[in-house]
Amino acid sequence: MSTLLEVSGVSVTFDGFRAINNLSISIGQAELRAVIGPNGAGKTTFMDIITGKTKPDEGRVIWGPRSISLLDLSESQIARQGIGRKFQKPTVFEAQTVRENLAMALKNPRGPFDVLFYRKSRATAARIDEIAEEIGLTEDLPRRAGELSHGQKQWLEIGMLLAQDPQLLLVDEPAAGMTPAEREHTTALLVRAAQTRAVVVVEHDMEFVRRLNCKVTVLHEGSVLAEGSLDHVTKNQDVIDVYLGR
Amino acid sequence: MNRSFIARNPSVLWFLLALSVFTVAVTLMSEVTGVGLISTSFVKTLGKTLCLCLIAIAMDVVWGYCGILSLGHFAFFGLGGYAIGMWLMYARTELIVVESLANAPLPPTETEVTDAIATQIFGVVGSSEFPLIWAFSHSLTLQLLMVVLVPGLLALVFGWLAFRSRVTGVYLSILTQAMTLALSLYLFQNDSGLRGNNGLSGLQNIPGLDAVPQSVISIAFFWASALALGLGYVLFAWIVSGKMGSVIRAIRDNESRVRFLGYHVESYKLFVFTLTAIVAAIAGALYYPQAGIINPAEIAPIASIYLAVWVAIGGRGRLYGAVIGAAFVSLLSSWFTGGSAPAVNLGFYTINWTDWWLVLLGLSFVAVTLFFPKGIGGLFDLIVLKPVADRQGDYGPDKGAWRREEGEP
Ligand SMILES: Nc1ncnc2c1ncn2[C@@H]1O[C@H](COP(=O)(O)OP(=O)(O)OP(=O)(O)O)[C@@H](O)[C@H]1O
Ligand SMILES: [Mg+2]
Repeated sequence: MSTLLEVSGVSVTFDGFRAINNLSISIGQAELRAVIGPNGAGKTTFMDIITGKTKPDEGRVIWGPRSISLLDLSESQIARQGIGRKFQKPTVFEAQTVRENLAMALKNPRGPFDVLFYRKSRATAARIDEIAEEIGLTEDLPRRAGELSHGQKQWLEIGMLLAQDPQLLLVDEPAAGMTPAEREHTTALLVRAAQTRAVVVVEHDMEFVRRLNCKVTVLHEGSVLAEGSLDHVTKNQDVIDVYLGR
Repeated sequence: MNRSFIARNPSVLWFLLALSVFTVAVTLMSEVTGVGLISTSFVKTLGKTLCLCLIAIAMDVVWGYCGILSLGHFAFFGLGGYAIGMWLMYARTELIVVESLANAPLPPTETEVTDAIATQIFGVVGSSEFPLIWAFSHSLTLQLLMVVLVPGLLALVFGWLAFRSRVTGVYLSILTQAMTLALSLYLFQNDSGLRGNNGLSGLQNIPGLDAVPQSVISIAFFWASALALGLGYVLFAWIVSGKMGSVIRAIRDNESRVRFLGYHVESYKLFVFTLTAIVAAIAGALYYPQAGIINPAEIAPIASIYLAVWVAIGGRGRLYGAVIGAAFVSLLSSWFTGGSAPAVNLGFYTINWTDWWLVLLGLSFVAVTLFFPKGIGGLFDLIVLKPVADRQGDYGPDKGAWRREEGEP
């Protein structure tokens, strides 16, 4: 399996506090990966580094077959490279409708003039309907996103992620605020997405991670503590000490 | 799905209708038709007001839709005015000079004519030579091009520098204000090449049209202003209604999230900033021939602050709100400051509106911001019925989710 994303030797310091410490992780072309770790382990910061929100003090982040360094790119360039992200706290555009939110995310040229002369087509409308169906918001398409419940906003953000059609999906705590049935639906969706692209999921819920049935990376104090199958890492004594045993 | 632009934006049709009716009504009542219910000077006031409405919708797009509180758009407005004013002054002075030299025993040479024009125009600032920036002033076409190019380029360069370094919010407003102040102070200098604090004057006299009475000229400019406002309205309505509008409103609400969707936020801001600056300049180029005079005080930051006040009172984020705000407040303002408003005698103190109008305006601004954030335009929401989601209970657990009491449709 060839590598899609290679993070190596990355460190980040916030006001003298080392949030990420010599972190190295690599993600394959079509891989599902779960990242777990206690609060403050640096999971969200790890995603911030990949998406260009935080610039690391040292280390390399190499992307794709042409081995581009993501550290030289801006947030929007990284997103256009094919890296999509769902935030821990759902962030959708509350003043706009669900349809507008999805249309904005839909994979299309992103330049101002492309957008200015953009015309709705049957194909894009159909794609939006398809995504809405998938995330269970068909009825809510004309509603303002601000009116949605917390769980529905989570879904909308997942929908926006799917609409972007990225090669790498970074999903930060997707199941928070969801019912057990919805969690199951999310798992299925992520597993399906990972058949054609790479998906990295940060999640606290062990049951959820177990159902993803994938390789797990345990982060602790900004670096990798253990990596392997869920059964493998849960047997690791260090992991039990810092995380599971609490 | 693919309904026409007008069908999706019925307010555009209503606006154009109202504007046409207004234009025709004013024309019929003006001195041109002989009815004379509306004096020529009031026609000019109304024409100027239409120009102010045009810059107000530009301001609404850049501030109300894109979230950039620019305190520099009146600078672009003024630059547009200066650009057209240069041609008006040059061409008119040329006619006068040529006429007076025609009686000379020898026909004047070209240099003599140019020198005479320069002396006429720059005598007040103790100069008799054309500064470099007047190089195109002999040509209407070139100078019209300058109306668009100079403010457009200034906005482009300034915006590029400001947005690129990700200056936002209050800091960006201060930066735009600094630009405006610097420009105005520069123009106040006598050697700025634009006649310092004298500014450009006599702009109401259109070269070659001396025989045409001002009543006709005023109506012509009134129509031109109405046309520009109509076109500007349609242009901006088109921009803010489609996907572009969706993206720029998203930038206003959460620009970093827009970046993570892959949009280059700075390009969008630059596009909106520059386009609105150009429209502001066109509005200025139509305004000052009706005002007759332009001087650097017009560019001072306070003008741009008024502009923000109009848009806020009219209602941000809807174009007709900006029009209402600009028309209402600027007309009211000229009524109060013009001394037409009756003084209020409180017994112990007499309120003279020329002194107290600004206080009243300030208080209204604070009241609108606090109690009617949607402004006057928000009243239209009471007329237009909107479907209300039938929903019981709270909307969601976190602060971002609207609760029942704030969950308006
Ligand atoms: N911008 C920042 N400034 C200062 N400190 C920060 C910043 N971002 C993150 N941190 C710190 O870095 C550490 C790691 O944070 P991070 O959000 O990555 O943790 P996490 O693993 O996502 O935790 P959780 O499970 O609670 O979401 C925390 O101690 C946090 O306080
Ligand atoms: Mg986190």
